[in-house]
Amino acid sequence: MKTILAVVGGALALFLTIAMFGGAGWTHPPMANKQTGFRGTGMDLIRTRAGNEALSEANRAPAPADPADAGGDKASAVYQNVQVLGDLSAEQFNRLMVSITEWVAPQQGCTYCHSTENMASDELYQKRVARRMIQMTQYINASWKENHVHQAGVTCYTCHRGNPVPANIWFDHPIQGAGRFRPRNNSQNLASPEVGNTSLPYDVYQAFYQHKETSEDAIRVNATTALPETKGKPIQDAEKTFAIMISMSQSLGVNCTFCHNTRSVAQWDTSTPNRVHAWYGIRMVRDLNQDYLTPLTSTFPRNRLGILGDAPKINCATCHNGANKPLNGANVIEPYPELSHPTISVSLPTGEAKDPIPGTEKPTPKP
Amino acid sequence: MAMLSFERKYRVRGGTLLGGDLFDFWVGPFFVGFFGVVGMFFTVLGTALVIYGAAIGPTWNIWQINIAPPDISYGLRLAPLKEGGLWQIITMCALGSFVCWALREVEICRKLGIGYHVPVAFGMAIFAYFTLVVIRPLLMGAWGYGFPYGILSHLDWVSNTGYQYLHFHYNPAHMLAVTFFFTTTLALAMHGGLILSATNPKKGETVKTPEHEDTFFRDTIGYSIGTLGVHRLGLFLALSAGFWSAVCIVISGPFWTQGWPQWWGWWLNLPVWR
Amino acid sequence: MAYYQNIFTQVQVRPLVPEHGVPVAVDDRVGKPFNSYLFGLIGNSQVGPIYIGYIAALSITCGLIAFEIIGLNMWASVNWDPVQFVRQLPWLALEPPLPKYGLKVLPPLNEGGWWLIAGFFLTASILLWWVHLYRRARALGLGTHVPWAFASAIWLYLVLGFIRPLLMGSWSEAVPFGIFPHLDWTAAFSLRYGNLFYNPFHMLSITFLYGSTLLFAMHGGTILACSRYGAEREIDQIVDRGTATERAALFWRWTMGFNATMESVHRWAWWFAVLTTLTGGIGILLTGTVVDNWYLWAVKHHVAPSYPQVYGPIVDPAHLAPGPRP
Repeated sequence: MKTILAVVGGALALFLTIAMFGGAGWTHPPMANKQTGFRGTGMDLIRTRAGNEALSEANRAPAPADPADAGGDKASAVYQNVQVLGDLSAEQFNRLMVSITEWVAPQQGCTYCHSTENMASDELYQKRVARRMIQMTQYINASWKENHVHQAGVTCYTCHRGNPVPANIWFDHPIQGAGRFRPRNNSQNLASPEVGNTSLPYDVYQAFYQHKETSEDAIRVNATTALPETKGKPIQDAEKTFAIMISMSQSLGVNCTFCHNTRSVAQWDTSTPNRVHAWYGIRMVRDLNQDYLTPLTSTFPRNRLGILGDAPKINCATCHNGANKPLNGANVIEPYPELSHPTISVSLPTGEAKDPIPGTEKPTPKP
Repeated sequence: MAMLSFERKYRVRGGTLLGGDLFDFWVGPFFVGFFGVVGMFFTVLGTALVIYGAAIGPTWNIWQINIAPPDISYGLRLAPLKEGGLWQIITMCALGSFVCWALREVEICRKLGIGYHVPVAFGMAIFAYFTLVVIRPLLMGAWGYGFPYGILSHLDWVSNTGYQYLHFHYNPAHMLAVTFFFTTTLALAMHGGLILSATNPKKGETVKTPEHEDTFFRDTIGYSIGTLGVHRLGLFLALSAGFWSAVCIVISGPFWTQGWPQWWGWWLNLPVWR
Repeated sequence: MAYYQNIFTQVQVRPLVPEHGVPVAVDDRVGKPFNSYLFGLIGNSQVGPIYIGYIAALSITCGLIAFEIIGLNMWASVNWDPVQFVRQLPWLALEPPLPKYGLKVLPPLNEGGWWLIAGFFLTASILLWWVHLYRRARALGLGTHVPWAFASAIWLYLVLGFIRPLLMGSWSEAVPFGIFPHLDWTAAFSLRYGNLFYNPFHMLSITFLYGSTLLFAMHGGTILACSRYGAEREIDQIVDRGTATERAALFWRWTMGFNATMESVHRWAWWFAVLTTLTGGIGILLTGTVVDNWYLWAVKHHVAPSYPQVYGPIVDPAHLAPGPRP
């Protein structure tokens, strides 16, 4: 009996040791590191040289299509039902359509969005979503240029990377413990990949990325005075903040010291400029989720929605995909000026659209 | 003054590793020896450089004095004195001084005819320090990864270096090291308390025996490790704390660059339940 | 030479009749003593017997109840899936009540009620164990140094789970039961209160923790080094100093100019260990109740160092004049 137990225990230990050494993904020098603070403060971006190269390889921007002639007939004259890009020449329009196909649906081709019988038809939900997404891209490149996306800009490829559905999106989590004996756990204490495998709260996107009017100090949990002067925030809030910060780090492939001197994470004057970019990034995510993604809830079919019937939403990783600058900071918008600013203020649903694009309906005039 | 009543008969010649009779003498209570002289050189030089570093720095506030390593961009080269070079020389002095101290302890052990446990144990502490300021910077490719010399500034370094890996508590070697630190302290409390309680019994009672000590722990937890064993256990726990501390920092960076919580993916993805 | 380093016991002596313990007034010990070869390598090979009075029995029962409540809650949180229970075990937890319940004595069971019940039984178990230790020390005619050292650890435990939540007015301030969750709690606690490294009592506690480890390495090493002169017979050496004590003392005197005695080294040890949790408890107790942000506190008292600016001034964007903000 004793011997059997010893053998089983030994085998188990051996198996776990092998799995730990072989399966964890250990790295090795040489390193490719970047200092982010005064020397000796320990503020550094830590990467191996190989990991850094692999990351930049995985985030290479695609070559832009050859420029098209701006002359000739306008797209709106040549094609029917061109609501957003009608001012482009037909050639420019076709160039963008080809590019979008490569960016979003390279396998599926044009018919991913367009009905084979009538290209102008809005029958497929994909086409209606795509129209709204083109507007979103224009909005990002115009309104968020100064504070977040800068010269580099974004295209469909920034998020889609050749996938019809971007790899990094999120849905609402159902509240655990709603029924029977299961304890309510503050939505934490499960190994959660969205918060880096910690047991921290995993429903943080809902808490922080959903609404534009999220309170300015929702994430801020530190007291601003040395001694208690007002009722402070509970530890649970600090855990949520820690969780969302871990998620951001993961999304950008950086660590806490990329933005903060962690001796006091709240202090702005000891932080790096990256923190300001990130601060605007959070606002941008909220902005887009509220105005562009959530309103698409009724446009998507049920199988594209989350468990709770909510639309897919974005977070930092949607664009960043693990790199601190999406697509290595390449200027992707310059070759596509038509995506750099809104070309039409609203797009009205017409004809065959089965349901209106939410957020774009004209309010019914009151009698 | 300098000698205890029984001390004279223990002050014998010999046992030195280096220097023969040359430095085989005492100053006050201190044994000198070759390593005492060399160690003193390193100590004085290192301390003087720390004071110099403070003098050219912005403050004499003891909490705020900071002697920082060079920028990462210097790599493994020497840096100008005022930009981390001081730190480099002080580190050399510190290591020289620590090693001399350990070797001087060896000489004292030899004089007293006792085992080498203490210098070996101190060697573990030196190893942990050496790992922090030499091995890991070498692996990372820059002296700038060493920790700064300052009471509060080294805490800031610990904080930032921890958050380089998002949540350092998930570092398995750090878990082991912390556990060993706590366990050592627990064991120390139990051992110290037990000896004191046996030699300081209830008023009016005589001093108790090791049998009482054994009985106390057998009665309460079913096992008493014994008078010799507890010191082996204590030494093992203390050395393990130092060893795993060194491991936990040397794997952070050179062998793991992500957040430490992500390391646990191997467990979550074991083939039996993936 | 290696022989004299005395790392392992090379010849294990086992008496024909195992030791049954010092006979005292109450000594109905249970369990048949046996010898373990592995234990015998470093310490006594004899395991058992054990004394279990009604207080110890009660303590163990309370401890088991707490353990069961915690374990079953964890299992419930993965929907009673046994595989996920093992897989996720380090991540699972029994959380204290949410802040909205304040100091409510019994919130709904699945929203912190179980935590309070488990906490009650665990605390009862620990306090009973203290009584057990105290009574056993007294029964054997020993001093009560071990139970009082244990009391120092209980102090830290009570501060974390009871006293501080009471002062803060909410059970939600307490630590969850769970392996990784309590680590998350610790990190969040430090983040919430502006970095615990700047808490002077945390500094003291860490100093005593490292100091304890240093002391045990020094003391353990010294005794082992002098064991060929019988240094491990510490009580003998305390009341009747022998050459082992003399050599041990001289080692430190010659090394650092100062030495403890065979007895006083244990006083150093006891105080260092006791002060670890004592100062730690004070540090936790002050956090949130007396000081809300340790970093700002350190700045106020000129403790925090300042570093040269590497970047231009970084300003909180939330405080910028509301201008062209999308």
